[in-house]
Amino acid sequence: MIWRNRRKKGKTGKQKALKPSKQEQDTLFKHITENEDQLRMIYQDCSDVIFHAFTIGGNHQALLLYIDGLSNTEEIDDSVLSPLMTATESDQEQQVDTLIKNKVAVTDTKEVHTFSDCVQAISAGKPVILADKSSTGLSLGLSKWEKRAVESPEAEKVVRGPREGFVETLSVNTSMLRRRIRSPKLKIQSIEVGRYTKTSVMITYVEGLADNTLIEEVTTRLNRIDIDGVLESGVIEEFIEDDPYSPFPQVLATERPDIVTSSLLEGRVTILVDGTPFSLVVPITLYSLLQSNEDYYRRFLMSTATRWLRYLFLVIALLLPSLYVALLTYHQEMIPTSLLISMAASREQVPFPALVEVLLMEVTFEALREAGVRLPKQVGSAVSIVGALVIGEAAVSAGIVSAPMVIVVAITGIASFTIPRYSTAFAIRMLRFPMILLAATLGLLGIMLGVITIIVHLATLRSFGVPYLSPMAPMHFYEMKDTMIRAPWWKLNKRPRLTGKYNKYRQSSGQKPDPIRGEE
Amino acid sequence: MKLLQNKGKQLLTITLCVIPIFLSGCWDRSEVNDLALIVGMGLDRTDEGDIELSAQIVNPKAMGGQGSSENSQSGGQPVTVKTGTGKTIFDARSKLQEKVSRRLFEGHNRIVVIGKALAERGIRQHIDFFARFPNPRLRANVFFADGKASEILKIMPNFEQDSAEVARELAELRIGMKVTTKDLLQQLASESGATALPRILVDKSDSGEELRVNGTAVFKHNQLIGQIDDALTRGLLWVTDEIETASVTLQPKDAKDYISFKLLRSSTELIPTIKNGKWKMTITITSEDDVVENETKLDMMDPKIIDKLQKQLNKRIRKRIKMVLDDVQEGMEADVFGFADAFHRKYPKQWKKAEDKWDETFPEIEVAIKSDVKIRRPGRSGGPQGVPQDKEATE
Repeated sequence: MIWRNRRKKGKTGKQKALKPSKQEQDTLFKHITENEDQLRMIYQDCSDVIFHAFTIGGNHQALLLYIDGLSNTEEIDDSVLSPLMTATESDQEQQVDTLIKNKVAVTDTKEVHTFSDCVQAISAGKPVILADKSSTGLSLGLSKWEKRAVESPEAEKVVRGPREGFVETLSVNTSMLRRRIRSPKLKIQSIEVGRYTKTSVMITYVEGLADNTLIEEVTTRLNRIDIDGVLESGVIEEFIEDDPYSPFPQVLATERPDIVTSSLLEGRVTILVDGTPFSLVVPITLYSLLQSNEDYYRRFLMSTATRWLRYLFLVIALLLPSLYVALLTYHQEMIPTSLLISMAASREQVPFPALVEVLLMEVTFEALREAGVRLPKQVGSAVSIVGALVIGEAAVSAGIVSAPMVIVVAITGIASFTIPRYSTAFAIRMLRFPMILLAATLGLLGIMLGVITIIVHLATLRSFGVPYLSPMAPMHFYEMKDTMIRAPWWKLNKRPRLTGKYNKYRQSSGQKPDPIRGEE
Repeated sequence: MKLLQNKGKQLLTITLCVIPIFLSGCWDRSEVNDLALIVGMGLDRTDEGDIELSAQIVNPKAMGGQGSSENSQSGGQPVTVKTGTGKTIFDARSKLQEKVSRRLFEGHNRIVVIGKALAERGIRQHIDFFARFPNPRLRANVFFADGKASEILKIMPNFEQDSAEVARELAELRIGMKVTTKDLLQQLASESGATALPRILVDKSDSGEELRVNGTAVFKHNQLIGQIDDALTRGLLWVTDEIETASVTLQPKDAKDYISFKLLRSSTELIPTIKNGKWKMTITITSEDDVVENETKLDMMDPKIIDKLQKQLNKRIRKRIKMVLDDVQEGMEADVFGFADAFHRKYPKQWKKAEDKWDETFPEIEVAIKSDVKIRRPGRSGGPQGVPQDKEATE
């Protein structure tokens, strides 16, 4: 019942919040003074909004509005103010609106008719000119603000591959994509999210490759979001996920334009969010989360081997500590005799049962990792790993934990770092703890129970309608080429079936390099 | 509203499903430190007719040691042998448990040694424990000790950490027989009613006591009826197709010195025939050898010489097998060769009739031995080494 009441309250709150915006939708007045009064009221106590009153050719009164720091003032002076203020007598005969349009030397201009349009343009850094005796204003695309330079993405390093990453400025990010896909088929739709932040969010896709229903679904889900503000794409991610309670990410967050480009070419949709370098790619599968962009740039044999290494270490990251606990407390007969004896020897001094020991070490490891992330710069992580080893060493010689346990925790830690996507690695690391508890209560049976639960969950999971485990479940044999192995590029003729079914073939077949081909 | 109710129900169901998992707690959990790891077990019979169980228990403090602190040095012997006496093995085990502070754990038991006194009174009833009790491995090697089993376990060997490991490795080398608990159970259940177990001995020398697997103990109808020595054991292995590593050394005719051969592979086939009510067994052995040492001046590349040597080897093998057959088939009348199963497989009807009389039939069976040895390679060298070419003996 409490829940029900709360829900109702939430609904009424939403309606109230929407009301005042209706009042603002006033068209501009004819007289400039009225307009100025209204705008000054809107921008009350906003000291960074500049109201610059001037006269066009010494005759018409006009007002220029912009926000300090968001607009290019030099351009305003040169291309807007000086031509308008020096307008000659002959110019005066024209209508004010046409006069302004003719005189202003700016490429991106747009008429504004309402106050809300005015506010939107000004907030976006576009100066607005209002003239007397005209109910039409003109917004000028002269926005310019401080932005971070394009840098190599810190969280997704590569040995081979492009070194540039997205930045916080949306226009820079879209330009990066446009530079990579020069076809006009690359569509970038813009919508606004956030009541106050009015963050622009771009839905990017390649027309003819992406499923239309997918684009519609993405748009609907984004339009449904009604929050105060979007601080990062992670906020949007949580609103558009298929299963919000799952520990597994159903959206791929990346700051690499090359990953986004390849996803777009596979028929996926990318959501770019202003103010963050992280863009979201949907739909995704578990296997795409276990792949690195570098897989496609390196020689394919190496990439195939790396993929298998990753799959192996995924299992280790999830199961090694729980297997250790299960074997040590329930299934001692399964450990080779001499190994068991040396394990028993090292555990002789340890006061805790294996479960307590493993939890102690795993929690310490997680804490060290978390602390390392918050340390200044990425050097911190190296420091924390060294710290962990030192602590491990000391703990062993003090007899608090056994040496094999330190090895297990260290291998597990390394294994979780082999997963290229941080969010996936986190899911695996988190699931490790229930697995340890299951192993400590039911032994290997518990581990099987846990693994089955995880697999069942993964099999039910969907990302924008695409089964999370595809192409394994449902099985598509052709796509094993790009999951179990990484086939050479001249063999990867088809797009992934579930996202690229509209345009199946991405290249012509028979492109294998061959001496005979040269003679043709 | 309905949706919310369902959610609540869902949550309740999940919680109810999860809680019982953890309610059970860790009821059968056992830490490694609380286990007494038994690596070897010995079965003896006391004079009162009880069973004396000896267990070789690992002392991890003395064994691994490198990880733990100072105490590892003062750990003492790597294994200790404790004994308990009772009516059955498990009864003896319970008595043994009284003396050991840690829970006995047979999961790593590698050898079972059966003492002579027990073997003479029958072993089948005691082996049941190893098949029924879940802890012991069915892969443990079974040995016969010509004395007390506990004596074998008490030996502290030079190379390995405990005598159980020595015995296991020796069995693994396949110099004698290798019989696991599972094999023994199968042998006991087989038609022939005879069983063979490798014999393990204590070798006393100046450098200390060492274990040695030497010879075979033969059981008939569950009881020890005799023992055969090393040479006969080799013959037995030829017949049962268990021979894996063998070296044969022979003196060629008209030569003073010896030539040694190493067995590469061998296969034995038992072909039973019943003709006019006469039971006959043909043992066909095909094997391949390499020359590994040649003391004589004979040229090993000469096909004629090789042919002669092959004939001599065949004769040698036939002789070896004949010796075993004389001793075991005619002397002990125990079918450890698996003749009974071979007849049963090929002549199921006749077998049904003769089944009860097998004990009388077996010693009467005529055995023909066919050996086909091939000398594959002369080794790394061709002719005799260190001899001028013109002085090589040709024939």
